[in-house]
Amino acid sequence: MTQTSVEDDRELLARAQAGDMSAFESLVGRHEEKVYGLALRMTRSEADAAEIAQDTFLSAYQHLSEFRGEAAFGSWVHRIAANNALMRLRRQKVVDIVSDELDGPEFTDRGSLAEAPESDWSKRADDKIIEDELGRAIQAATDALPEGYREVFLLKDVEGLSYEEISEMVGISIPAVKSRLHRARLALREAIDAFYKEV
Amino acid sequence: MFNCKDSIDALLPFLDGEMSAEDEAHLREHLNGCPPCVEFVRSYRETSGLCRKALVKSMPPEVAGRLKAFLRNKIESK
Repeated sequence: MTQTSVEDDRELLARAQAGDMSAFESLVGRHEEKVYGLALRMTRSEADAAEIAQDTFLSAYQHLSEFRGEAAFGSWVHRIAANNALMRLRRQKVVDIVSDELDGPEFTDRGSLAEAPESDWSKRADDKIIEDELGRAIQAATDALPEGYREVFLLKDVEGLSYEEISEMVGISIPAVKSRLHRARLALREAIDAFYKEV
Repeated sequence: MFNCKDSIDALLPFLDGEMSAEDEAHLREHLNGCPPCVEFVRSYRETSGLCRKALVKSMPPEVAGRLKAFLRNKIESK
């Protein structure tokens, strides 16, 4: 979001805090895509994502008077949505599988890469069919990550939350967040590399 | 001197700029003589951006409409 957009948000927020419902609706309209997208990526359920978006903006409205604007409104609702999505996943008791099942590069006994990576991922990037197939391969690879790794990867690399925020939300240490992120990236890199080796 | 495994294990702190000067020197020394690892670092860096692009989700207009109606109903009933 640009600086101008953040300033526009501040103006809308001030009006919403003064009771202007249309200003609040404008704020919702500016951030609903991002909130819904986060919720859908996290839960993989359109029904859950729609409910999370409702809960998130209702919660934001109910706490508008407490919001002092130290952070941007968009970051604030984004964090509320992430917390709501995580709580929903916890309620559904999504079972983690062991991380040993994560793919990653293979090494020789001397610690050298056993196989050279595909040399150029970008060479067919302008091909729409390849791009769509790659998108499906990435979605499948993300879905296949163990839940605790998938959450951390999405929150950090897709949603842009900080290590500190993720550590607090997920309830694990910052080194554990970093370790999960690295393993998830390696597994996804492996899946993309395998895709490019096949096309 | 790092091998490929040491270098790949160190990628996250390296890209976050949180590596000790000594370890970073070891990593750079390895990368200077290992084209597969240079390729690996490039693709590791590229992974997040490709995933972000592939995982974009858009909100259907009817869902946005239901959200607005839900909020109006909840807020006006207070």
